[in-house]
Amino acid sequence: MKTRRTLRPATLIAGTMALLATAGARTQLTAQEVARVVVSPATITLEVGGKATISATAYDADGNVVEVPFMYFSRDGRGKLAVDRTTGEIEAFKGGRFQVMARVLGPNRVSGTMDVEVAFPPIDRVEISEAGGRYYTGVTMRHKVTVFDQADDVRDVPVVWSTSDESVATVDRFGIFTAHGPGEVMLEAVADGVVGRISYQVADNPVAAMAVEASQTRGRTGDVIHFTAMPSDAGGAEVGDIPVIFSLIADPDEIATADIPPAEVDRMGRFVAYKPGVYTVMASVPGRAAHATVEILPRHVAEEVQLVGHAPVRNVSTSDLWVWEGSDGRDYAITGTHSGHGSTYWWDVTDPANPVLTDSLIVDARTTNDVKVSEDGTICVISREGASSRRNGIVIVDCRDPRNIEIISTYDDELTGGVHNLFIHDGHVYAVNNGIRFDVINIEDPANPHRVGRFELDTPGHAIHDIWIVDGIAYTSNWGDGVAIIDVGGGDRGGSPENPVLISRFRDIGGATHAAFPYRSPTGRFYIFMGDEIGAPAFDGQEDGRTPEFMDGYIHVVDFTDPENPEEVARYEIPEAGSHNMWIEDDRLYAAFYQGGLRVLDISGELKGNLYHQGREIAVYKAYDPDGVVANAPFTWGPQMHKGNLFFAEYFSGMWAVRLLPRRVLIP
Amino acid sequence: MRPPWGVPLGHGIAHGFTRSVGRAPRVPSRHCAARALASTVATASVALCAVAASHDHAAAQSYWVYVAAESEDEVALLRYDAGGDLVVEKTIITGWLRAEIEAPHGLAVDPAGEYWYLTLGHGFPNGRLVKYATGADTIAGVTDLGLFPATIAVPPHGAVALTVNANFHGDHVPSTVTIVDLETMFPIADVVTCTMPHGSRFNADGTKHYSACMMDNQLVEIDGATLQVTRRLDLLRNAPAHAPADGHMAMAPPGGVHCSPTWTTPHPDGRRVFVPCNKGDVILEIDLEQWRVTRRIEAPGAPYNLDLTPDGTKLLATLKGSAQLGIWDVETGRLLHTIDSLMRVTHGVIVTPDGRYAIVTVEGIGGDPGTVEVIEIASGTRVASAQIGKQAGGIALWKMEG
Repeated sequence: MKTRRTLRPATLIAGTMALLATAGARTQLTAQEVARVVVSPATITLEVGGKATISATAYDADGNVVEVPFMYFSRDGRGKLAVDRTTGEIEAFKGGRFQVMARVLGPNRVSGTMDVEVAFPPIDRVEISEAGGRYYTGVTMRHKVTVFDQADDVRDVPVVWSTSDESVATVDRFGIFTAHGPGEVMLEAVADGVVGRISYQVADNPVAAMAVEASQTRGRTGDVIHFTAMPSDAGGAEVGDIPVIFSLIADPDEIATADIPPAEVDRMGRFVAYKPGVYTVMASVPGRAAHATVEILPRHVAEEVQLVGHAPVRNVSTSDLWVWEGSDGRDYAITGTHSGHGSTYWWDVTDPANPVLTDSLIVDARTTNDVKVSEDGTICVISREGASSRRNGIVIVDCRDPRNIEIISTYDDELTGGVHNLFIHDGHVYAVNNGIRFDVINIEDPANPHRVGRFELDTPGHAIHDIWIVDGIAYTSNWGDGVAIIDVGGGDRGGSPENPVLISRFRDIGGATHAAFPYRSPTGRFYIFMGDEIGAPAFDGQEDGRTPEFMDGYIHVVDFTDPENPEEVARYEIPEAGSHNMWIEDDRLYAAFYQGGLRVLDISGELKGNLYHQGREIAVYKAYDPDGVVANAPFTWGPQMHKGNLFFAEYFSGMWAVRLLPRRVLIP
Repeated sequence: MRPPWGVPLGHGIAHGFTRSVGRAPRVPSRHCAARALASTVATASVALCAVAASHDHAAAQSYWVYVAAESEDEVALLRYDAGGDLVVEKTIITGWLRAEIEAPHGLAVDPAGEYWYLTLGHGFPNGRLVKYATGADTIAGVTDLGLFPATIAVPPHGAVALTVNANFHGDHVPSTVTIVDLETMFPIADVVTCTMPHGSRFNADGTKHYSACMMDNQLVEIDGATLQVTRRLDLLRNAPAHAPADGHMAMAPPGGVHCSPTWTTPHPDGRRVFVPCNKGDVILEIDLEQWRVTRRIEAPGAPYNLDLTPDGTKLLATLKGSAQLGIWDVETGRLLHTIDSLMRVTHGVIVTPDGRYAIVTVEGIGGDPGTVEVIEIASGTRVASAQIGKQAGGIALWKMEG
């Protein structure tokens, strides 16, 4: 049997034509195809930093060598084993066992594999989670360990815990360290002979008395109550460095099988209840305990929602909105469109019960996702995606008279990937380039917009989705990179539109940050609400337009009061839908939750836990429009409170306005 | 109106959706695509298909194509029965987030006709390559690519895909071609080529890959065996070029002369490649042995995508600016036909394996539906059309049967 060699194109064509001339030709061609690949050596052992070269040989079904090119790679060796795809040269960077594949660059995707065993380098260091120091008899605390090898690879190897003096302290296999008597003791964790150690000075437990105090004795569900433990010695002096364990005895008013926990208390003594009832918080140190009891009442914040008006858009999906008071004192709104024909609509909403379409604009785009208005209400800016020219960018519009809007200029330089979101602040448009950065475009002369700055994170694979600016500080939503806080003129880092300066960044749990809204609470705390956007499975096999879209994800609440130590403290997660855009005003979060509709949440006070279960929901409104793009399918895009009316964009039916009406509920 | 969602499918893929609506596809009586290279039309494999099909000219043929609707996050499967209607058989919803446009752009079908591949331009921030089983149209694999991946090239052997990361996001800096092992959907390497690469195509036997650099005005050749860049041609200076320096920002060429090459189409004779200058209203013929431009074929109307008939005698180009399809005689360079499209912004074109028809995608503008048109090449007349989702762009032939 012949071996197959690389053919020149002309040869191949001529050859294949000839082959096809007879019925048996294809059989002949197939017979030469590669049946198996042998990679040699079959296994190889390397040290970190070591190199080797492997080679592959292809055989046909009859065992003849077939000359074909190969491509070498290792999937499980990614980041640990460099494989030259052409030469088969291998270099080891980390220890482990990896499979290298040699793929025939030929038909049928035939491949062979070999194994590379890279000896793990010796363990370099063992790091214990705690620093050591003063400790008291009777105290128990878990310690964790991280083991690094000499390639700086984190290793999962057995660790043996021990203490230098078991009369002073002992430790179990989980690193749970318990002190029994006074003295010096070394806590050691040994991995492959390498020791990590910390030192404790164990003293007798001085606590002679224990007290605990609650910041309030009565509260409502969702209120964060601080329990302060006060261990003291025989002289009455506070013992401030002994760990206190907080625990909970719950007696909720209503008990249901397999219900959520009715309350929680954390290691800092922060308590929050989900159910009304009576709760006793225990604060304990070895040999001493104290408790305090609080009464939790229903929150009673629910209000009624009254439909005020509807500005229907039923031929195309609606995207974002902005509502503002025009220079003539009347109130106006602008709404964008999504996956449509590039239209944007202006409305007179002075009478929100009867919104009047005042003007519209069609630009070369499929989506005008974001629409924003300058602080003085004279300039509207529209983002563009899906332009036929593929240049996209933004459209700057004179909207002093929303009955006669005029395009002033467009700007698309290096915004060709599309602008998905934008914000106007102090004569500048901050345009998110639908990818990796935002550009700052000066529109002080709106007829001559020009770029003055840009900002991009330096994290690997960074992305950006949205931007919001308050008082010269920009808050960008960056998917897996979370929220970034950037000084664009209002911070203390010397930032400006021309020179945005990163202040801080926080990646929330999950890392799907789509929108972020800052809020300085009357409590003095500064929160950033970070909303996910995550896809969700839905129905299959339905006809077009019969079922709505579905989304997933929730809002993370991050306490940024100390910007150097932000803490994710709460979440607002509803079970049936995912979050989208937000608006916060006067201790109320107005949140669009796609198929979950419009939600209004009481965010007064300190926040902790899952706000959904705390009775904080003030209102839920789902806008059903039988004539919508998809009939009776709420899919809430974004809200904005304006002069007591809550406007919100519905993806399938346009803009709506509702008003909240307080319920006449007696609150004990 | 956007159709509803689908369910996640595929091998261990947590997200991603595909859903089909419309009629179920017919069971093919014969897979020409088993021998044909879909999407990459000008190949020897297609030549094989054409020869085989030529025996059946008297019989009615059916042609099945996938077409991406970039601003709808859909892929349409269409069937054209020769002499009959162009029918949308199925619409497949693509993407992960139904509330975001993820921009399905490039399409390719593997030579065996078992899978089709799709690039999604927008991601977080990188786009993706998604592998679907043909017919069932269920997801079989996915991998991350670079910034706004566009065209996909699959060589005749079908082992790998080379996708150009066009990076339409702004900075005009050198980008990459990602090499993906199609069995495992593992991204093996990112090969730096140039600024805004586009028009990824293999030659007939898969020994060379070509792509164009829209902002650097280069043609880049990658060896099909080593998968390394072997040479570059400056299309303006008509001389070998160097790689753009890392971090180099592509600048507009002096004197206003521009090419902005958007496509590459190797001729089946293996001796030349055609490249359209989208901003130069000309199609360049590059002699591969001399590695220089040897002919300029006038093509007013902003030529964008190209294809050749399997016998290599006719060259077809979508004329994006004038919303036309142009057909040239390759030997003489004479323009044979210009066919007006029903909508504006012509985008993709493929020639059926028997050389009878060109199937053209037309993006439309704004709310226009995407349009797919069938052109009889010999007469230069449109014989069928169908509307799909907005911004019809990438197109790949699945099979020819009948």
